[in-house]
Amino acid sequence: MSHYSDGSFYNPAYHDSETLELDRRPPFKPRHSNPYAQDPPPPWQAARASAVSTVTGPRANADPWEGGAGRGLRALGALPLGPRPSQHQDPPPWQRPPHHSSVHGGGSYHDAAAPSRFPATFSANMTMRLRGMRRMSMFPNGDPSHLSITEGAIRNELEYEEQNLVKELMACSTKERIEGIRKLPMTYHEKKHIRNRVLASKSSKKSRHLSCLADCSESMSLILTGGMSLQSLRRCASGVAAARQALDLWQGTMKEVGGSFGSSVLSYFLFLKSLLLLNVFSFVVNFSFITVPMLAYDHVPHNVTFRGLELLTGAGYFRYTVLYYGAYRAGSFTGLLHYNIQLAYFFTIAAYMVLCGAAVLYSMASSFKMNYVLSDPVGGGSWQLLCTWDFSVTNEKAVRQRKNNLRIQLKESMSERSQGTRLTPAEKLRHFGIHLGAWFVSTSMAVGCGNAIYYLSQYEQQQATNAEDWSLAREAETLLVPFVVSLINLVVPLFYSLFNKFEPYSSQRRQIYALILRNVILKMSILGILCYFWVHEVAHKFSCWESRVGQALYRLVVFDFFFMMLGSFFGEFLSKVIGTRWIPGLGVPEFDVARNVLDLIYAQTLAWIGIYFSPLLPVLQIIKFLVLFYLKKVSLIQNCQPPRRVGRAAQMKTIFIALLFFPSFVGSLSLVAYTSWSLTPSRLCGPFKDLDSTFSVVGVWMTSLEGVPAAAWAVWVYVNVVRSEIFYFLVTIIILFITFVFWQVTQGRKLLILLLRQQIVNEGKDKTFLLDKLQALQKSHPTQHPKSKIKKQRRSGGSSTGVRSSSNAMVQTFLSVEQGSRGAHPREPPSPSHLSISFQRTPFASEGQPPSDALGLTLRAGQRAEVHQPWTPPASDPLGHPPWTPPSADPLVRVMRARDAYDGPPVPLDGGTSSGVMMQVMEARSRAEGGGGRGAPERIGPGSSSALIQAMLARQQAQNEYDDGY
Amino acid sequence: MGATASHLGKDLLSEYQELTFLTKQEILLAHKRFTELLSREDKNLPEPRAPTEAILTLPELKSNPFRERIVRVFSTSESRDGLTFEDFLDLLSAFSDSATLEIKSHYAFRIFDFDDDGTLDENDLEKLVNCLTGETDDTRLTPDEMKQLISNILEESDIDKDGTVNLSEFQHVISRSPDFVSSFKIVL
Repeated sequence: MSHYSDGSFYNPAYHDSETLELDRRPPFKPRHSNPYAQDPPPPWQAARASAVSTVTGPRANADPWEGGAGRGLRALGALPLGPRPSQHQDPPPWQRPPHHSSVHGGGSYHDAAAPSRFPATFSANMTMRLRGMRRMSMFPNGDPSHLSITEGAIRNELEYEEQNLVKELMACSTKERIEGIRKLPMTYHEKKHIRNRVLASKSSKKSRHLSCLADCSESMSLILTGGMSLQSLRRCASGVAAARQALDLWQGTMKEVGGSFGSSVLSYFLFLKSLLLLNVFSFVVNFSFITVPMLAYDHVPHNVTFRGLELLTGAGYFRYTVLYYGAYRAGSFTGLLHYNIQLAYFFTIAAYMVLCGAAVLYSMASSFKMNYVLSDPVGGGSWQLLCTWDFSVTNEKAVRQRKNNLRIQLKESMSERSQGTRLTPAEKLRHFGIHLGAWFVSTSMAVGCGNAIYYLSQYEQQQATNAEDWSLAREAETLLVPFVVSLINLVVPLFYSLFNKFEPYSSQRRQIYALILRNVILKMSILGILCYFWVHEVAHKFSCWESRVGQALYRLVVFDFFFMMLGSFFGEFLSKVIGTRWIPGLGVPEFDVARNVLDLIYAQTLAWIGIYFSPLLPVLQIIKFLVLFYLKKVSLIQNCQPPRRVGRAAQMKTIFIALLFFPSFVGSLSLVAYTSWSLTPSRLCGPFKDLDSTFSVVGVWMTSLEGVPAAAWAVWVYVNVVRSEIFYFLVTIIILFITFVFWQVTQGRKLLILLLRQQIVNEGKDKTFLLDKLQALQKSHPTQHPKSKIKKQRRSGGSSTGVRSSSNAMVQTFLSVEQGSRGAHPREPPSPSHLSISFQRTPFASEGQPPSDALGLTLRAGQRAEVHQPWTPPASDPLGHPPWTPPSADPLVRVMRARDAYDGPPVPLDGGTSSGVMMQVMEARSRAEGGGGRGAPERIGPGSSSALIQAMLARQQAQNEYDDGY
Repeated sequence: MGATASHLGKDLLSEYQELTFLTKQEILLAHKRFTELLSREDKNLPEPRAPTEAILTLPELKSNPFRERIVRVFSTSESRDGLTFEDFLDLLSAFSDSATLEIKSHYAFRIFDFDDDGTLDENDLEKLVNCLTGETDDTRLTPDEMKQLISNILEESDIDKDGTVNLSEFQHVISRSPDFVSSFKIVL
């Protein structure tokens, strides 16, 4: 075997002659063609294999993953070299450089992706990763000992790889280097080895070139930090990271939840946590920039007594506190610094909204990038199910349940696939009707609820007056609207879930999306109606309407909280009791992530809307979320079972973030913006009572700044940017343009992905083809030949090999060929022409055989190739040789073609005439060679192998043509 | 905590931090947990190696269907069992939150590659499915189902049609299943 990797493989003549006929087979074979797996090991190899197992245990040293230098070398050092032939003393010439088509078995496949092929714009990380991949694919077939690479070759290869890697890493800056080493898929010791090498060579290099470009940043930071070493900086950064981790809220709880319920349920708690943090941030900002200055400036104590009901209604005592807009007053105090409460109020809320928007937008975009753009829109589910096993699940029972669920899901996906649900038009129509009906009912329910709330609010408003002193009963009346709203929010989604059960959905994903969409429509229509009512009725009727809206929001938030708790009581606790005690068929409920997340989104929308009317509303929200977290955790662990369906959690998360952004954040932002731009602030209370609109506070500020020369730029920006339509027009145009460009880029990328995919498929075909070829080569030469002998052997023709190994497949193949043609030409005297005829007939003879007959396939393939390209003498040889002369070499060609049959597995033969036929074939072959030699001795070089060379050249040509056609 | 920190040494700790995706706290915790796994005589060795059985008693691994494979893949010993502390850190690093998709998919591939031959062939996939659905006879898929499932998998992911799933094909699949990163996670 190893003679292929010795220089002979790069002898073009040898190469071409060997591939002369093999190439003609169709290059695609739909089977795994590990060239070593199928053929019985020749005696010498078997001996060596046994040596492997005795010396080092089965495959212990042959681990393909021993990629790294240290361990790789160690493994190689342990290579058993028992009866290894001694022809490898001189290093084979193909070793350096390694990236032409060296034969490493399948391992060279990855070499095809050598970094040199990539454009230079690829980052160093990219190539490093590739390197890492290649490193570990050195021995993809497990046992390097049956590859014919010498030990030294492999060591050199590894060394070379490592050197390249070190070089690449050295070119990076410190940070990139650390990242790069960290990202290498190697063991700790290998990484350390690489790191030490990089550091060592770096320090030696540094003494020579002090100002390396990559070190620029390093030296810059050294200069910046003065004496502070980089190490301490890094330590500082990692200290920050560690502190952040220590602050990480509820880590133990999260682990517990993830450990027994998996990551999809965990995503609810993570969502809750992020919303909580958002509210903490908003509270801190509002409290420190609005409330504290207000309290410090001038706080008028009021004399309303606390009655207790305020906790629910938010009216009464709270009405005059800093909880609401109404308690803030315009004014500026000049102590150490000039502080304008109007400006503070406006800018704090504006900044908070902008920051929130940026945060949500950013997380939405990155989530989309991660989970939607990359994910397969159609991809079958079974593989996805398999590779997303949740490693974080540690609970024994949960693992068992998960296995069970996974099995059921796998079976379902398979049955769906096999059924291939084709619906009749009538069924389709029926399904469509059901969907339409469900949508109609759900939408009209949403509309009806919206209407009901509108009229209820109107009724409430008619009852309410501007009177300051409310009786308790009057105060309690205000609870009606929030109660109804929360009730609708609790009950109507249950109806929706009910519809969902009856609707036929082709996929579960669609079902969930429909459910989510309906719920969102319901919630948003309710909130929309309420907002409309506040903006159009409350704002024009009441003297201090902002506080009133704030109170309404307070009540909504509080009631939403109660109903969420009720919901988890009814939704989870009760159904568990029912499911376990009374109707066991129902079973323990699952935690409904979608419904709970939608509730959270709704709650957060309320908080966002309320930020203008009640700056301290986030306090309430924080308390609510904290309680909810523990409540849900307890409810989950006590009442629920892990979700039956796994997968798609990440996409759901993306959808939730998108929902948080689109209707929720955008809606509340537009309401706040509308309020501050277009509505007149109330005249009796609030910081903006003397202004036409909230936004005009900026205008007032700018007029006051006009005299100050240092602030001229701010005034200019205000006049020319903020207030000018042209600016917004331009911005819109630019954004549209950028969007268009990116859209085009996306389209291009899609095309590129398609092309690359096609290329992978083609490369796979190439690989299969090459492996087949290699396999065929090995079969025809199962014994080892030192380099020097190969030429000789080639000259004497393949027949000598056949003679030597009488058990060879080749012999049998020939025999079967002969047998197949014997019907047509029984016992004819051997002649090249007859052989070729018989060969051409063989495929037809074997037509009736089962397709599993490899020989038949091969022959047929050969025949097909023949049919596709009739043998035409090429007009001019690409290598500048004289034109081909068919008559002289035709017999040779045909014999060579006959050698195709070597590929086939041994075909059982029914005894008889074997040696005679063999002799005939050999004779034919030698005659053909002789004829070739006689036919063109004066044109082509000397010696009897000239015909052979010609045949090779012609073969090359034919191959080129064939490739073009292919 | 202080005692373990002094055990590890400052330079070693910063080296661990540099070469893995773990933070200082995680490394210290890992060290603490790891020393608990060692027997008394092992502790005095220069490079103590926790035996596989001890590692498998960790609650994080105890019920994992791939626990043996995980230990095998991360072990650097000749006989492929037992983990040194560095191996253990490698394991935690690959399963940590901050590890890249490349690292995660690489190790996932190795874990799933039961016969260590560098590709996922039908036998590997069958073992994988059996691991995931349970090994006992009543939980196992029927041979027909298994055959169909494996052909589905190969149809989906075997881009070059060689009958096996190689690393790049596997990574291709992984990059299309966004749940992978969040689920390929073990936290001490």
